[in-house]
Amino acid sequence: MKDSRDKELRRQIDAYIKGNLNETEIQALWNEFAKNPELLDLLELEVNIKELIEQEAASMGKGQKTQSPIRKLPRWTWQAAAAAAIVLVALVQLFRVDNTVSLDQMVVQNIAPAQLETSNAIRSKDLSISSADSLLNLGFQAFLSGDNDRALTLYVMVINDHIEEPYGSKAYLNKGIIHYNTGEYEQAVYEFEQTIERVQGNRMITEKAYWYLGNALIQTRDLEEAKKAVTKTYQLDGVFRSPAFKLLKKLNEELGYSDTEKVQ
Amino acid sequence: MDYSKFVDAVLENDETMITKQVKVITAVLIKFLTVRMNASFEDAQDCAQNTLLIALEKIRNDDLTHPDALINYLFTTSKHEYFKVLSKDREVNYEDLPEHHSTKADQLHRLVDQEKMSLLKRCMEALKADYRKFIEFWFTNPGYETAVVADHFGISVNNAWTKKHRIINVLKECIEKKFQK
Repeated sequence: MKDSRDKELRRQIDAYIKGNLNETEIQALWNEFAKNPELLDLLELEVNIKELIEQEAASMGKGQKTQSPIRKLPRWTWQAAAAAAIVLVALVQLFRVDNTVSLDQMVVQNIAPAQLETSNAIRSKDLSISSADSLLNLGFQAFLSGDNDRALTLYVMVINDHIEEPYGSKAYLNKGIIHYNTGEYEQAVYEFEQTIERVQGNRMITEKAYWYLGNALIQTRDLEEAKKAVTKTYQLDGVFRSPAFKLLKKLNEELGYSDTEKVQ
Repeated sequence: MDYSKFVDAVLENDETMITKQVKVITAVLIKFLTVRMNASFEDAQDCAQNTLLIALEKIRNDDLTHPDALINYLFTTSKHEYFKVLSKDREVNYEDLPEHHSTKADQLHRLVDQEKMSLLKRCMEALKADYRKFIEFWFTNPGYETAVVADHFGISVNNAWTKKHRIINVLKECIEKKFQK
């Protein structure tokens, strides 16, 4: 009897670490910890094991040589990624449309890692939501360590098993970013379109999806469709408004449209 | 930890037993506050101590005798103590309101202990290859149901759980041995 109770509690600890317990279950587990602090030691041990394995997985990924420049990112990747995103946005906002700059020079060359969507927070509500959060975070970790294949596999798992929002749209967006950065623009277009189809009420994901869709479409030389996506980005009036405006002007020029529209 | 014995010790003024049990309860409360409330270690320590002082008084006044009620009381009081610390320390900054209303999730990473990690690393390296492979798969794929893990290794679900527990036990014993050295 005690043995089966012990097994049950160990499974509860595992579920807690994986974020699969609800609030009541968590508190009940803490009550068990209070009665038997050895169980709390066990939780602590498992958290440390998980952390160690994750750290080793991340460092192994960094050690592997690949063609992806992201693999070379050091430990300060998070900060660097955030800084790169800020610099990128600042540069794009300062960018002046002039006729000497080609369309190819205006499109996003490489999407910063910080643009990938991860979990909003570690949650402790429901099995599927928590699992999806974990998968998104693991995908991000894999991406940062340059293991794009693993990242894509993890995002496919999110799509297959946790299609509820915002997970489906986040996974598609991240897949799109990975394909974009590896030059697979047609596949990126598909992923960004899927993002737009699934996203529900998440302004940031919508904006990113339209913006990168527009850029991917330019890469595939589908300028008419690109113009629609970039126009939509501009209309969303968010962080990509300014670069979208400049890109729109350039697209109009390339497509031979007169640029009389006064968009502010 | 037998809380009825703790109550008896308080009522009988058995200082040795009280000190011993207070130490255990304090450690649990500190972890509870750091993990569940994301309290700093110092705040958690203060709140745990205050909680125990309040609880001891309650027990002495015969207001708290049932073990389960005592456990609930300890957790609830420690949370209230922490809220008191927060309300004293912080003013609400209306410019920094979170995007959505949700309670903060548990901060299990607060249980990460660097000293334990370095010992654990050595213990992991000493694990049998199949144990290591299994536990790495288990923790790098938290979204997988146990059935998926079991299928991956060609074993039953029950055996997957047993194997996981066995590996954890091996690591636990290894760390304990290294701590003793």
